[in-house]
Amino acid sequence: MEDIELKNIWKEYDRRLEEARVLNLQSWALNMQCFETLQRQKMKSKLGRLALVKIIMIVLGLIWVLFVGFLIVHSLEWSKIFFVLSATAIFAITLYAVIVYIRHLVLIHEINNSESIVDTQLTLARLQSSTIHIARILFLQAPFYTTFYYTPAWIASGDKGFWLVTLPVSLLFAVASLWLYRNISWKNAHKKWFKVLFNSPEWNYVVQSVGFIKEIEDFKQNI
Amino acid sequence: METPPGKERFLRLVEDNKGIIIKVCHSYCRDKGDREDLAQEIIYQLWKSMHRFNGQYKFSTWMYRVALNTAISFYRKEKRGAAVVPFTGVDMDIADTSGDGREADSHLRLLQQFISRMKDLDRALILLYLEEKTYAEIAEIIGISETNVATRLSRIKDKLKSDFSNISKKAYGRH
Repeated sequence: MEDIELKNIWKEYDRRLEEARVLNLQSWALNMQCFETLQRQKMKSKLGRLALVKIIMIVLGLIWVLFVGFLIVHSLEWSKIFFVLSATAIFAITLYAVIVYIRHLVLIHEINNSESIVDTQLTLARLQSSTIHIARILFLQAPFYTTFYYTPAWIASGDKGFWLVTLPVSLLFAVASLWLYRNISWKNAHKKWFKVLFNSPEWNYVVQSVGFIKEIEDFKQNI
Repeated sequence: METPPGKERFLRLVEDNKGIIIKVCHSYCRDKGDREDLAQEIIYQLWKSMHRFNGQYKFSTWMYRVALNTAISFYRKEKRGAAVVPFTGVDMDIADTSGDGREADSHLRLLQQFISRMKDLDRALILLYLEEKTYAEIAEIIGISETNVATRLSRIKDKLKSDFSNISKKAYGRH
């Protein structure tokens, strides 16, 4: 088979399009007099949905940051030092995640479908896969949820419950969150623990986006 | 430099280039419902990006960029990993042709089927090649070098020819 034959087969497509006077696929759009209808499609757009998820996360994150900030301001005393320190860490990590989400939102609005396929898809895939980065950061909060109720008096009392149960649990959370921070990466996406931890269609899509980045990078190389 | 067209001119330009939307939709979506959704999404994205069209490229080149970018994003979200289903006459959404075109029709369906098995970016490449875009235009739309376009297209065409050849061998084997 020659190259020209492939093109001739494809030309049959054009012949059939010519023959088909009614093109069902987009005739609805071509007959539309009012493009405002299309504006309503905006949230149907896949990117629109991604932006919506980010907006929800930003709003929830800000509410949480304000609430934690309020608690910190009203707990500034020595007896609540562990609460203040834990809440401050949670406040800082959540605020960082909110800032990253806001940056993503700006990027989503800057995505330009008129750019080359490789550039646009790479930006989009990087944006989608960045959820992994946020998850890593958010896991760092975990140990602080086990330390906020410590008090200097409790530690000084030599309570066995604290030294044998509470502190080891906090240490365990600290080790686990640090381990997750170091290991949550697309390179480990194929591992069983990763799949158990992030088993949802949305996460599968994030992992696929990461794979797509690799595919695009390979595609760009002239190999 | 051309100015961004108004609503009526936009409709006319889309009408004149509707084949691009149909072919892209068929190359990236197997299900009729998905194709309709994708066609809507492409037209919406074209309208939304219209202010960015400045005549630097041909309208069809710009349209391919928007349509392919939308299709690849849409396809990856909706259908990645789904089984490949051969196209049927009903799925073509185009009026049936006479009996004379039956062989050409069967080749076209096979070609579409082979293309549907390709990776997203390879699919975009071969689509543009079959649409008789030059290597320079393809490189501009996809965003890779002309040399890379030539190398990759050569491999894709070899694969397509081999797929056709295998089908022919199987067909002769049955007789």
